[in-house]
Amino acid sequence: MSETASRLVPKQRLRVAVYAADASRRAALGSVVAEAGHVLVGTLDDADVIVADGDTPPGETRRVVTLGGADDDAQGVLPRDADAIQIDAAIRAVAAGLIVRRRGAREAGFGALRESDTHVLLTPRELEVLAALAEGKTNKAIARRLDISLHTVKFHVESLFRKLGARTRTEAVTKASERRRRETITL
Amino acid sequence: MSNQLDILGQFSDALAAQAEAAKNAVVAIRLAHERHVTGMVWQSGIVVTSEQALPPRDDFELVAPGGAIVTAKIAGRDASTNIAILKPAEQIASPAIATGEARTGAVALAIGADGAGGVSARLGLVNLAGGEWHSSRGGLIDRRIVLDVRLARREEGGPVFDAAGARLGMSTFGPRGQVIVIPAATIERVVPQLAKDGRIARGWLGVALQAVAVPDALRESAEQSSGLMVMSVVENGPAAQAGILAGDIILSVDGTPAHRFRKIARHFGADSIGRKAELRLIRGGAVMTVQTTIAERHAA
Repeated sequence: MSETASRLVPKQRLRVAVYAADASRRAALGSVVAEAGHVLVGTLDDADVIVADGDTPPGETRRVVTLGGADDDAQGVLPRDADAIQIDAAIRAVAAGLIVRRRGAREAGFGALRESDTHVLLTPRELEVLAALAEGKTNKAIARRLDISLHTVKFHVESLFRKLGARTRTEAVTKASERRRRETITL
Repeated sequence: MSNQLDILGQFSDALAAQAEAAKNAVVAIRLAHERHVTGMVWQSGIVVTSEQALPPRDDFELVAPGGAIVTAKIAGRDASTNIAILKPAEQIASPAIATGEARTGAVALAIGADGAGGVSARLGLVNLAGGEWHSSRGGLIDRRIVLDVRLARREEGGPVFDAAGARLGMSTFGPRGQVIVIPAATIERVVPQLAKDGRIARGWLGVALQAVAVPDALRESAEQSSGLMVMSVVENGPAAQAGILAGDIILSVDGTPAHRFRKIARHFGADSIGRKAELRLIRGGAVMTVQTTIAERHAA
């Protein structure tokens, strides 16, 4: 452990090349890499990590972080809209010999239609309260907006917590949006 | 002891013989440099594969049994059942294969293409063989078949056989990397329609729906405790033309209660296009009825 700690370089500057067909994406990714404190090098130069917009370039044998590629075999796989913190973390992790996947990346797959049990379905009023919670509104503000008593708002919020299995307002909003994403049907 | 070894040896030999026989039943579908997925030679002009595994383009290269490269065009894809078909530029002979029924606990052999004209093999059990189910994309799958095998990405879309060498269906990935089988019965049902039209026609109203609880005060007049709330309406779609609004709660379609999408899915099959549908719904605290005409859904 002490040996590991002694080798840690807190702000390590890595040599990173950006591979992107689109010039504006190349510039954007290049500035993320530079701002994270890395040295931006050309794709033909000696690089520690390649950041590729889309799939891994053919024949690339160095460590690669792909953004939005269909390539599952790359060491680092990020969504196309990954933020600067995620890109920097992936570059450092991949350089250290780790593999990087976003949480839930393997959730995708050909799955069944999921439908909640009747007893946990939300009512239209609860959905309105939830929308206000998502905007960060207080119970008082929600009561005013929906023209109901503070007591009734508290009643709805408690019911939401119970039906969604949430303990906090943030958790309720997250769980409801996850459920909505999963269970919305287009017809 | 030697008897037991015989049995194991025979078991192993039988599996190896089956994998060898499966060589003529699979092709590799090249996606990119050194990457491919597997396709099944379904009939002599048609290769079947997993729709979700294919990128959105029309032309592919196949590695046929034995290693010959053959170009192929997408002839149809249906995300709702996860089935895509390709037509190779040259005929690939299709072996005669019986269709089998999955049984929980039975041995299953999943075959993939190795990318050089040969095969790779995986052995496992049928973890679960259940009844029909609806996919999240709205397709009807004849049976729920889950395998307890590992599968590489390049093996997805290959055939799954039972111990007698009968084909149970096509391997694919479910959520969280679970390996499932699209049953042969589903493929047999979908492929002729895909080959004819390039897609599976489905009814369409132009709405996004989410199941909701009917408010207590309305349960009596609604005569049910849940329905499907309209979350959004597609501009100029059939629902919009019928005056359906976001916030309406659909209670029934042609008299079938819309407790759940599953219950009304059958009302929106290929034969529903052009038909009138009567929707009972809650709007502004009152129950009312709206007439719509079902249109054809276009590829998402």
